[in-house]
Order: sequence, then C-alpha cells, then structure tokens
Amino acid sequence: MSSTIAKLNAPLTQAFDFQPSSELLPTPTRNTLTQRLAGFDTLTNALEYAAQGNTGYNFYDAKGRLRSVLPYSSLRNKARALAQHLAGFNLDRGSRVAIIADTSPEFIELFFACRYAGLAPFAMPVPVNLGSHGVYVQQLKGMLDSSHASLAFANLDYINFLNEAAKKSATLKWIGTADQLEELPAQEIEPQSNQPDEVAYLQFTSGSTRMPRGVVITEHALMCNLQGIVRNGLEIRPGDRSASWLPFYHDMGLVGLVLAPMVTQLSVDYLATRDFAIRPLQWLRLISRNRCTVAFSQPFGLKLCTMRVRESDLQDLDLSCWRAAGIGAEMIRPETLRNFAEKFSSAGFNSSAFLPCYGLAESTLAVTFSKIGNGFDSIQIDSKTLIDQRMAVKLQAEGRKYNEFVNCGRPLPGHIVKIVDENGQQLAENKVGSVLVQGASIMTGYYNNPEETQKALKPNNWLDTGDIGFLYEGDLYITGRRTDVIIVNGRNIRAQDIEELAEQQPEVRSREASAFGVNDADGTTTIVLVIECRLTAISERHSLIKRLQQLVYMAFGVSCIVELVPPHTLPRTSSGKLSRFAARQGYIQRTNLNNELSVVESGDR
Amino acid sequence: MNESNYDEIMQLLCDRLNSLTNSEATVTPETNLISELSIDSIKLLNLIMEIEDTFDISIPINALADVQTVDELAGLISRIKSTH
Repeated sequence: MSSTIAKLNAPLTQAFDFQPSSELLPTPTRNTLTQRLAGFDTLTNALEYAAQGNTGYNFYDAKGRLRSVLPYSSLRNKARALAQHLAGFNLDRGSRVAIIADTSPEFIELFFACRYAGLAPFAMPVPVNLGSHGVYVQQLKGMLDSSHASLAFANLDYINFLNEAAKKSATLKWIGTADQLEELPAQEIEPQSNQPDEVAYLQFTSGSTRMPRGVVITEHALMCNLQGIVRNGLEIRPGDRSASWLPFYHDMGLVGLVLAPMVTQLSVDYLATRDFAIRPLQWLRLISRNRCTVAFSQPFGLKLCTMRVRESDLQDLDLSCWRAAGIGAEMIRPETLRNFAEKFSSAGFNSSAFLPCYGLAESTLAVTFSKIGNGFDSIQIDSKTLIDQRMAVKLQAEGRKYNEFVNCGRPLPGHIVKIVDENGQQLAENKVGSVLVQGASIMTGYYNNPEETQKALKPNNWLDTGDIGFLYEGDLYITGRRTDVIIVNGRNIRAQDIEELAEQQPEVRSREASAFGVNDADGTTTIVLVIECRLTAISERHSLIKRLQQLVYMAFGVSCIVELVPPHTLPRTSSGKLSRFAARQGYIQRTNLNNELSVVESGDR
Repeated sequence: MNESNYDEIMQLLCDRLNSLTNSEATVTPETNLISELSIDSIKLLNLIMEIEDTFDISIPINALADVQTVDELAGLISRIKSTH
C-alpha cells in the first residue's frame, strides 16, 4: 500500500492543482477556412492547411468542464517545436516512437511532432483494470519489443509503468514525458516533407500479450481511407462538429476521431474514455450542448448510455443535431440500436442518424459504410438454412426461427469485399464465409512479423479480416468473428492469451486449455475457459478455478466461467491442435445453452 | 492517514460491496475484490461513480492498477480525499 501511495503523489497533485482559465472557450464549429476534404498527400500537409483556420481539439473533464483547447494552429506550432527536440536524437527516418495515449493534448502534440521529425509514432493503451499492474507492464513491454521502439513517452500518471516496462529494452534510447523532451537541446531542422509511401504510424491490435502485432499504415493508405470516410461515408460538410470518448489508442478513436476531423478542419470535443465509462451521459451532453453532428461509438457504448440514463437526464438533452451516429468495431445487434433509439427519441435523437459500418485496423479503419442519413437496416435470415447450408435466405414464413443481422453497407471507393470458403474459393452472394478485402487502405503488414503478415495478407494483397459474413444485394452483413477473438463489452480478447494464462499454472499442461465466448439471449458475451484437469481433491480444484478467474480478471477485466473436465474431453484436430470451435460446441451441449449460432461462427485460424 | 476518515470510507465500501455482490461472505478489509467478490467491469464503474459522487473526488485509473483488496481501495480513496 505504501508504495502505491508514493507513486500516486505526483500525478494527483498535478491533476487537482489545475485551474482552468475562466476565459477558456472551445474552438468554433464554423471555420474561417475553406473546407478541404482530406485532399492532401500527407498528415503534416493536412495539418499545415488546418492550422490556417480557427478550429481544433477541445478536452473536457468528468464534470463536463472545458479543461484545455488545442487549435490546429497551436498544434502545428507545438508539434514543429517538439520535432526539433526529437531531431536531437539523430534517429533514422521511420524509427518507432511509443506514446501512452491518454486522452490529452500532449498525445496529439507528440504524435504530430513525430511526423514532422520523420518518425513513426504508435499509441499504447492506459491501464483499465483493477489490479492489472503486472499484466499492463507486460503488455507495454510486448509493444516496445515488437516495434523496436527508439523512444517512449508517457505523462506523469503513467511514466512509472513505462519505466518498469522499458527496463530490459535493447532498443530504447530515451524514456520520458513531453515536458522532459522540451528540456533537451533543440536541433534546428527544416522539416523534410514526408512521402506518401512512408509509414505514418503503427496501430497495435489485439495480438497476443507477449507478441502483439503492430499494423503498419503508410501515409498513402491512411489518406485513402480518410478520403473514403469523410467524403463517402460521412459526407462531411461545413458546420459539422465531432464529439468523442473513444480511446486514442484504438483505430476508431485515432483515425476516425482525431485524424479524420483534422483532415477536414473540423472541431472535436473529447471526453476521456474513463469518464465516459463512469458517466456515459456526459458524452451525450457534450453532443447536445456543442451541437455536434458526428459521433461514433461501439455498440457497447450505446448500451452503457441506455442503461445509465435517468428520465430526468433526458429533459436536458437535445440530440437533434446528431446526424451521423457511427457504429462499428464489434458485431452490431439490432436490439442495441433499437433500445438506444427508443430511450433517446424523446431527447431528439433521430434513428436515421444510425450509421453502421465495418472495418479493422488492418485496413486503416473503415471498409464499408451504410448509406448516411438512412438509419440502420437489418434483415431476418432463416436460422436453419443459415446453419445447414451456410446460406442467407430471407425469412419466408412467420414462426420459423431466424437470426437478424445489421447491414454494414458497401465498400468505400477503391475497395472490394469478397466472401470465400475454407479453401479460399470465392462464394456467391448470400453464401456465408470469410470476409476478404482488397484496396488502397490495406496495411503493408505487421511490423517485423512476416509470419503473422503472411497469415493475414493473401495473394494479390487480399486481406483476410478474420470475420465471417455474407453479401446480400451487394451489402455486407457480418455474422460473427472467428473463434480466435472473443469480444466482451466492446473489447477484443484473444482466446490464445487466456489459454496461455491457464497453461502457465503448474496444474495445467500445454494444449489442455480452451477458451471461447458464449452469448446469452440479449447478446452479452461470457468467456468460458475449459481445462482438462487431473486434480481430484475438491479444495485443489476450487483453488485452481478461483486462481484462473482472478488471473483472467486482472489481465482482461472480465469475469469468466472455468470448467474443469477429465483429460481427453477437449476435441482435437488431426494435427493434435485443440479446436476451440468444437470445444465450444461441447460446452454448449453439456450446459444445454440454446440460441447459439455456433456453425456460422466457425473457422479456427 | 486520518483514522476516522479511513473508517468512514471502509464502512461505506463494505456496505456497498455487500449489496452490490449479493455475496454471502462478509466483506472485510482483506477481501479481494477480484477473486472473492468477482467485481466485473460494469459493477466496478458503478462503484467508482458512487465513490466519486459521495466523496466528491476523482479516482485516476492508473491508481486502480494497484488495487486488489477492499483495504487498498479504501486507502486510495482516503489519500485522494486528503490531498483534495
């Protein structure tokens, strides 16, 4: 306890001493500058243009008070100044720079400073779970190692975690805060202009904790995706304004709500993810108060809002300004959207604002968008045909069992989506299979990881998304993820990571643990961990279950079900590999769970 | 650490946790929030909101990474409150 207290001293003092100026005003919605919609070749050129106007980023605290304002003009000056300090390290162009991405002006300043200095930044997460100290440090370490990062930044709240993670790093030359960087000598540099084929940033995905995967995105891929998003997906226009609680270390938060507004010179209002999670209504209040028009969320974020709102809150909200309520990043269930619309219609929310989309970090961010202004569209598919023939047929008769899927729309210009079977053969419309994407937004690969890159990038640069779905009248519908990723409360968790945690226990042998997700009727996912176990004493079995639940919680912040089964219960493939799909089927049979769309979600990678 | 302050916080936490988890076990300072009470992320958010509203404080997320027991949580709150 005492060490905890010592560590907390500095950040807390800073957090509470801060007194915002009473004159602080958010950047305006209407710009003095003519709007350009991502018509740039690089991020720094886009910022040079945006800096000529008067819009920018605004940061709000948990109580909805404006805490800091970062106009694009100030960002440009600050980033160029910081770049001169970065230049003092004499790093090779494209060297990686790690930044723990709190929702703060410092993160954005450092991110752009890296680009002005010709370096490739990447965002690292903040710790979110109770008791996650050790696991979080391991997570940071994995990212620092796999990226071969040369520099690493954190603010005072997180610098101790970063120092711990960096202890044995072979590549790091310097670790510190943005303020410490400014104390270093500056080197006068005339920033060289970046090239479209250069790496813009890395984006870490839900790769395993030990060897996370850093998606490599070039300036060209980024700008292609941004153009698709702002021109075709959102039809951005003057008068638009964004509000966001999405973490800066996620692709949707970074690309969708930091970079997309900047390349269209829009103002954005930010709420820290933590503050949203505790008081989700603050996000809606921001939208209402600042008349925001574009705001994205995972379905889970909408669920939180619906769950937490009180009737008295609704009276003060006017959400009629919200014209693009983007939904993405996980499976979208129609019920989540309907419940949200029902709850907030009295506050002026118009369900035609719903804008389901589909994408992933390996394709920068977005792949498909539904038609803006039309609301969400879904179809009811006959369950039996879906499972027996892996085919989507519209429900013909009342009374038959069906599954409802949300229309995720069509690919952005310059992108193609196809559905393939297990052998990579393209399937006809309505047939269910793996979703593959081709186009200019696709990553060049995972950084320094040819093995994983080869698994994801197929010949002719088709990206295997890892998702399962079908095309219906040209629109994409996602029916499930492959079993290697479990999504709980909007967070992607790799099944392998959970199995590895289990296998680190002395009682558990390698290849005797299988993890997967099961859904209940309202779409809530629970993680199940099945272990082949030789222990007979009840107390020992109980102790193992408790320990595993605690480890999973500390690593991922979720509760899980642990089932101990006799040896040789878990089904294996011909190569001796455990089949999570079959393990899940077995569990469902043992526990008589119904309504499971198991066949549709098949396909271990 | 101000003793009465800490005791008051501990009392409130135990009361809230007992009702939040419907657990038969009595919550004590040594109770592990994770392994013994299985506080999931939604319950945790609710608890933090109540704590913040009750004590008019803001709990930084970096601090929660070092909290596993009720005692550690109470100590954290007490410390934030006294620097506030």
